[in-house]
Amino acid sequence: MSKKLWSFKFSTAALVLIPAAVGINYIGKLFAGLLKLPLWLDSIGTMLASMLAGPIIGALSGAINNIIYGLTMDPISFVYAITSIAIGITVGVLMFKGLIKNVYLAILSGIIVALVAAVVSTPINIAFWGGQTGNIWGDALFASLMAKKFPMWLASFLDEFVVDLPDKVASLVISFLIYKGLPKSLINLYSSDDEIEKL
Amino acid sequence: MAKIVVEGLKYRYPLAKKLALNDISFEVDEGEFIGIIGANGAGKSTLCQALTGIVPLFFKGAYGGRVVIDGIEVTKSSLSEISLKIGMVLQNPFTQITGSKLTVYEEIAFGLENMGLEREEMKRRIDEALMLLDLYKHKDKNPFDLSGGQMQRLAIASIIAMQPKIIVLDEPTSQLDPQGSSEVFKAVSDLKKKGITIIMVEHKVEKLSEYADRIMLLHDGRLIDFDTPSKIFSRDDLKDYGVVEPVFTRYCKSIGLKNEMGLYPVTLDEAVDLVVKKREHSS
Amino acid sequence: MRMMSLYKDRNTIVHKIDPLNKILYILASILITMLISDFKVLILTLVVSLLLLLLGKVIKNVFPIISFSLIVLVTIVIIQGLFNPNNKTPLVNIGQFIFYKEGIIYSFLLILRVLNILCAFSLLILTTKPSDLIENLVRRGLSPKLGYVLASVLQIIPQMLSTMDTILDAQRSRGLETEGKLIKRVKAFIPLIGPAVMNSLISTRERAMALEMRGFNSNIKKTFLNEHDETSFDKLIRYLLIALIIFTIVWRLVWLK
Repeated sequence: MSKKLWSFKFSTAALVLIPAAVGINYIGKLFAGLLKLPLWLDSIGTMLASMLAGPIIGALSGAINNIIYGLTMDPISFVYAITSIAIGITVGVLMFKGLIKNVYLAILSGIIVALVAAVVSTPINIAFWGGQTGNIWGDALFASLMAKKFPMWLASFLDEFVVDLPDKVASLVISFLIYKGLPKSLINLYSSDDEIEKL
Repeated sequence: MAKIVVEGLKYRYPLAKKLALNDISFEVDEGEFIGIIGANGAGKSTLCQALTGIVPLFFKGAYGGRVVIDGIEVTKSSLSEISLKIGMVLQNPFTQITGSKLTVYEEIAFGLENMGLEREEMKRRIDEALMLLDLYKHKDKNPFDLSGGQMQRLAIASIIAMQPKIIVLDEPTSQLDPQGSSEVFKAVSDLKKKGITIIMVEHKVEKLSEYADRIMLLHDGRLIDFDTPSKIFSRDDLKDYGVVEPVFTRYCKSIGLKNEMGLYPVTLDEAVDLVVKKREHSS
Repeated sequence: MRMMSLYKDRNTIVHKIDPLNKILYILASILITMLISDFKVLILTLVVSLLLLLLGKVIKNVFPIISFSLIVLVTIVIIQGLFNPNNKTPLVNIGQFIFYKEGIIYSFLLILRVLNILCAFSLLILTTKPSDLIENLVRRGLSPKLGYVLASVLQIIPQMLSTMDTILDAQRSRGLETEGKLIKRVKAFIPLIGPAVMNSLISTRERAMALEMRGFNSNIKKTFLNEHDETSFDKLIRYLLIALIIFTIVWRLVWLK
């Protein structure tokens, strides 16, 4: 499995998974808004794409997600494509190394994903927003840490991390539950390493 | 020369335990219209996919036997090469729209661009396909703004423009309203007149009997029978295969009205002819 | 909504500029704003972008795009003004809070950077049809498959959204509660997103098959239905922008010494 993990040769099914993943991200965000949940839940599609087709397709789904948001809503989204790519790669690697096997491991993996997302986002937040994330609760924490003379990078990292942690854990658990409910034939469709067996 | 040769075809989907196709052999000649019938799970869609190479090239799984299309063995070819010989139209009109093109005209061009055709040749073929499928007045519309029947005709036009000699249609009318269904049937009979070989899975047996030269009866992955519509529908064990005969045939069966060859009529015209003949005979 | 886009159809010279040049312009703007922290330069580039947007008759459409970032931009002034580590010189007192000069200047620098980048991107987004942009990039060597993926997302998302209402109605009629306590609302999420995911994944199987039958994996060099000529004007702009980008980098390197 690990040999094929980084393959850039995609099956058509895996490629067509990308628009679906971007759409699922978008619908997740809309349903979360509709239910007035205090989370974004806008990376479920990217995570599912990583689980189904590996880190490269996951990373592409993340990148294209942000490119499309950037083109059609908010250009700042382009810059955070790097964060989405990191999320896609992390989930893909965790999944294909067999580390997302049950809900508890999904929670643990969610924490890892949140850490990675925060590490990648922090330099962007510092360069563009002086360290802020734009989330009220996170930025309130950031302001209070800055007032206490914490270094900016640490305050900014914690700002991002407290926002990402519940969101990424919830997203990964939801993605895992959906993945578990998918028919096997569908899961098998996106892996390109099958050979034709002779009858 | 036979256009399609299938020999000892066996296939099992990945992760499946049962064979979806089990030792199927047949030949189809150029210009024939072949209907495929059978219950759910009989292997109709799988057979369509095997003819177009989707099985096994796309789905992988376990495969045996040979499918030869116009001299090319599918397992020794690629899907893009096979698609120049044989095209496929699926059930759901929505999923066949590529989604990347903004007009009907450009949508038909998608396959032609991939074939690397010259611009003039592309335009010529698109115009021809638009005419044949009666879509010319919709050419500048967004594909997603079409009705179901129009969308399905667009799917057929997009395949036709690639000029395959054979078209496989897998229940193309099952998600359409009656209006859309008859649009599609008319389009398919026009294709037949142009000499294109047609393979069509269809539950509307009345329509199928009207157009098909021969009908293939599948059950449990096996080929039960492959013969003219009247021979197929005159069988008295159709119920065992989860298939019903056309309504006219059922009626004639119930009153025992057969022709001189001992077969039941399968279309309204045949039934009427037979009734008229019998009357002249008795008077 | 048939296609997601912020494109505004107008007949101006800005609309006719090659999309690649607009991308190079974004690149130049980002480099200038990130590498050179000089107010005069930042204001100059912002003015150039605004003039181009004016020329493209889309200046009004920039404000909704900026409004996405407005709250953050305001809080940046407050937080940096109060807490920036370099704060030394008090500027104003509001109640018990002291705003410092260093933090305020830094926050203005950040705001100018963000405005520059937003305006440069807006120039591309507001005056270029997404489908033209993608086709242009494919002509210039972007993988046609990636081009397909990008183009299809723009139309497939609106298609998926239309199924969203259907799912919502169906689940509500089965008694799913979408209001009330947080835990109830959290529990409602999976029955809503689950069917949407299933639908879209199942259609990927059929769409992939349909694409295969349309020569999607063909090795032949792809041709294009639409004609495309690059004008010498476009070429000139391209060389100028590339020169500007090189100049910015060299300036930064020399200036650093």
